[in-house]
Amino acid sequence: MRTLGKLTRRLFLERGLWATSILFWNWLRGSVKAEELHSYEGTDFIGKTREGEFKNFYINFWKPMRRINGDTWKLKVSGLCDAPQSFTMENFDSFTTTTQSSRMKCVECWSARAQWSGFSIQDLEQLVKPQSAAKGVLFHCGDEYKEYLSREALNQDRVLLVHSMNGKPLSDAHGFPLRLIAPSKYGYKNPKAILEMEYVSEHQAGTWSKIGPYSTDGTILPGTDHPLEFGKEPRRISGGEITDY
Amino acid sequence: MKYFGIIIFIFLTFCPVTSFASEMVEIPAGQFIMGNDHDSHATPQHKMHLKKFSIDVYEVSNEEFAIENPQHTFWEDSGAHPATNITWQEAQAYCEKIGKRLPREEEWEKAARGEDARIYPWGNKKPRKKPHPFYSGLIKRRVGLNKKDISPYGVRDMAGSIWEWTASDFYKKKITKGGLWNFHLEYEFSKIFDRNLVLSSSRLPFLGFRCAR
Repeated sequence: MRTLGKLTRRLFLERGLWATSILFWNWLRGSVKAEELHSYEGTDFIGKTREGEFKNFYINFWKPMRRINGDTWKLKVSGLCDAPQSFTMENFDSFTTTTQSSRMKCVECWSARAQWSGFSIQDLEQLVKPQSAAKGVLFHCGDEYKEYLSREALNQDRVLLVHSMNGKPLSDAHGFPLRLIAPSKYGYKNPKAILEMEYVSEHQAGTWSKIGPYSTDGTILPGTDHPLEFGKEPRRISGGEITDY
Repeated sequence: MKYFGIIIFIFLTFCPVTSFASEMVEIPAGQFIMGNDHDSHATPQHKMHLKKFSIDVYEVSNEEFAIENPQHTFWEDSGAHPATNITWQEAQAYCEKIGKRLPREEEWEKAARGEDARIYPWGNKKPRKKPHPFYSGLIKRRVGLNKKDISPYGVRDMAGSIWEWTASDFYKKKITKGGLWNFHLEYEFSKIFDRNLVLSSSRLPFLGFRCAR
């Protein structure tokens, strides 16, 4: 029998076959991993994730939350308004829908763009009639996150209460059934999965502003951005809404 | 009469800095070096000759801006902070009301840089101390508080504090100069030749102005 040193041809072929099998197995696992489902897929819960489809639009939650049942969900509007009331999603059908493309910029450094559809807060305010003492709104969310925005900020152009993203109803991960989009503010000022809007008389700090180095105003500052769809390649931004890309 | 000097000393020591905020400094006519070859936003570096002009030593403060614009609101105790959330049109109107105008970009740059092509108003060295705490918003301080941020002509706060409107345009946006860059909660002073481009209708908490004449 021909030998290659101590390696016989049979042994060489056997080992080669093993090595090829291992390489093929690893390749197969890698392919599956690339299409990996995120951690909360198939569960009753949703929380922070960057896996699977969310590699191109990261998801942050204050804490994992049970998915909201759209059949029973109601938006409660409370506090300093003359007509506090609760709304189902159908109640918003008569509101004018506005669709806009805007970029979500996270204070962590990444950003991602999407097309958002929703209605302006003025439409809601015509029904709930905020009192003059109401200076802002405290949003209460499904993940127990709270965020405050002044009425002045909420009534700026391009600020929307959003029910759809890229032409489809919001997914649980992106804040089903209703979220705020304020493109000139960092992501933490864009609360998701809103359960209640409370009109308040005092400026307040939201959840992150209470515990982290996050300003209560949250306007995007001049600096750099790392957009996910451009491979996080750094880009200079001028502050406020990112409109250049 | 013998207490007059003491009274003057006490007044000068404790009176608010805004009493001097509209103070101007004259920038002499002559050549200076504008831009920078190593920054794609500021290239090419070139020589430019400007006529004599004057520029405010300090950014316009909340108290000053509110004198001409009573609707301008600001937090208690922030009267001496730079006025912000002001559109370009409002800034220009304020300057005109008091017989001034917004500086052009080249005027702003010369006032900050002098004639030796320095990178920062105080020289070429990047300061070791960060200009701002680790925080996602701008913490404002009274105009002129930073004792290092002084240009060769004595103009204050041209590398830190806030961004400032200029009269100059670039691609339908106004050129703003001289504020802080935020790199994921880490901050850096802007270099003199750095420019930011903002729509004139924008009202932003990091953007104010100073006047020229």
